[in-house]
Amino acid sequence: MAVETMTIEVAEASAVGFKAIGAGLAVGLAGMGTGLAQLGIGGAAVGATAENKEMFGLALLFTVIPETVVIFGLVVALLLLFT
Amino acid sequence: MAAVNTTGPAPYIYACTRMKVRKATLIPREEYMRMLNMELPGITRIIEETHYKAEIDELASSFSGIDLVEIALSWNLAKEYQKIIELVPGHLKGFTRSYLLRWDIQNVLTILRGKSQDIPQGRIREITIPAGSLDKNALDRLIAEDSADRIVEALKAHVLYPVFEREMAGAVESGSFAHMENELFKAYYTEIVRAAKGGVKGGHAFLQYIRLDIDTRNLMTLFRVKGSLESDELREMMIAGGTFSVEELVRLAGSESSDEIIETIRNRLNLDSFTEVLETFREEKSVHKIEIALTKAKLDQLDKLAKRYQFSVCPILLYLELKQYEVSNLRALARGKESKLEPESIGACMVV
Repeated sequence: MAVETMTIEVAEASAVGFKAIGAGLAVGLAGMGTGLAQLGIGGAAVGATAENKEMFGLALLFTVIPETVVIFGLVVALLLLFT
Repeated sequence: MAAVNTTGPAPYIYACTRMKVRKATLIPREEYMRMLNMELPGITRIIEETHYKAEIDELASSFSGIDLVEIALSWNLAKEYQKIIELVPGHLKGFTRSYLLRWDIQNVLTILRGKSQDIPQGRIREITIPAGSLDKNALDRLIAEDSADRIVEALKAHVLYPVFEREMAGAVESGSFAHMENELFKAYYTEIVRAAKGGVKGGHAFLQYIRLDIDTRNLMTLFRVKGSLESDELREMMIAGGTFSVEELVRLAGSESSDEIIETIRNRLNLDSFTEVLETFREEKSVHKIEIALTKAKLDQLDKLAKRYQFSVCPILLYLELKQYEVSNLRALARGKESKLEPESIGACMVV
């Protein structure tokens, strides 16, 4: 009886742990994807702005577009943790 | 020579984007067409209003008229090239420096020719363009030297010094620097092919540009001297390393039929930009027009390379070449207008 109770407790604790790992991976990997995308866009944005100051607004807009990817990761992580 | 890339692709993207933005700010074709119908003061005003204002203002106290325009254009070109060397990262810096060695050849030959014809130092200084590895101070030191031998001696650290040293005696003896110029350009191409094949990442794109440049130069030489030179003389003028071997070019130059030459070149080159241009050569007899058409085809092909290899040395080389032609176009416009040439004649000298 005591062994069965312990097994259920371990399984429940593991489920919470795996959810936390999944949430961490969702945010972490999405963040890395965003970073990789922003590497190129950021380089080009700074280059274009260095040549023409008027490009700043547009360059900033293009640079933040990959942020949506990390927001998707964050949403997945929140769903995993709180549902 | 080439630095190792330790920073990832961002600096390359940054530099190539800057080149693309700069390319977009060059004078467009329509503006040249408008300038062709203007008088010299109007052209000077437009030049002042573009990127050349700083140089015009700086030199206005020392020069005037057409000399002011011409020297301001040269200074701007030199400054622009030096700035680009500063901003390009990693191994692109090495490639760009290798490419710009051609300006050293041009400058040193200008000095040597000027000295041999007793041109005043100030005048030689005005026409040198310190866009290569020899900066303004280094060129001033060369100009101040007394003799050709001392000039060559001062170039001891230069990568092309062995060629200068080897060819100097013959050039002084014959009074002509043409052979020396041929040998220097051959050594230059050998040097940049070596840099491109040095195992550095991005060398492949640079090598494609070099092959394109060698092909264009060889074709210009071929159409210029076709049927008028002996095989040995021709062999000496052709540059190895392009699509065509030197022997092949010599054989082509000896061919009686222009159609056969054009057909062979078209099939072997197999580049869209050249195919159309080569067709026009069946009728065109003017060597000058052929050279301009080949230059335009080269720039068009380089533009395609710059789009294919977006973050390589190609967008940088494309900008450097377009900037050089912008300066030479403006110079042709200003000089042509001053000499009261017809707009059509001036337009025929421009690469637009």
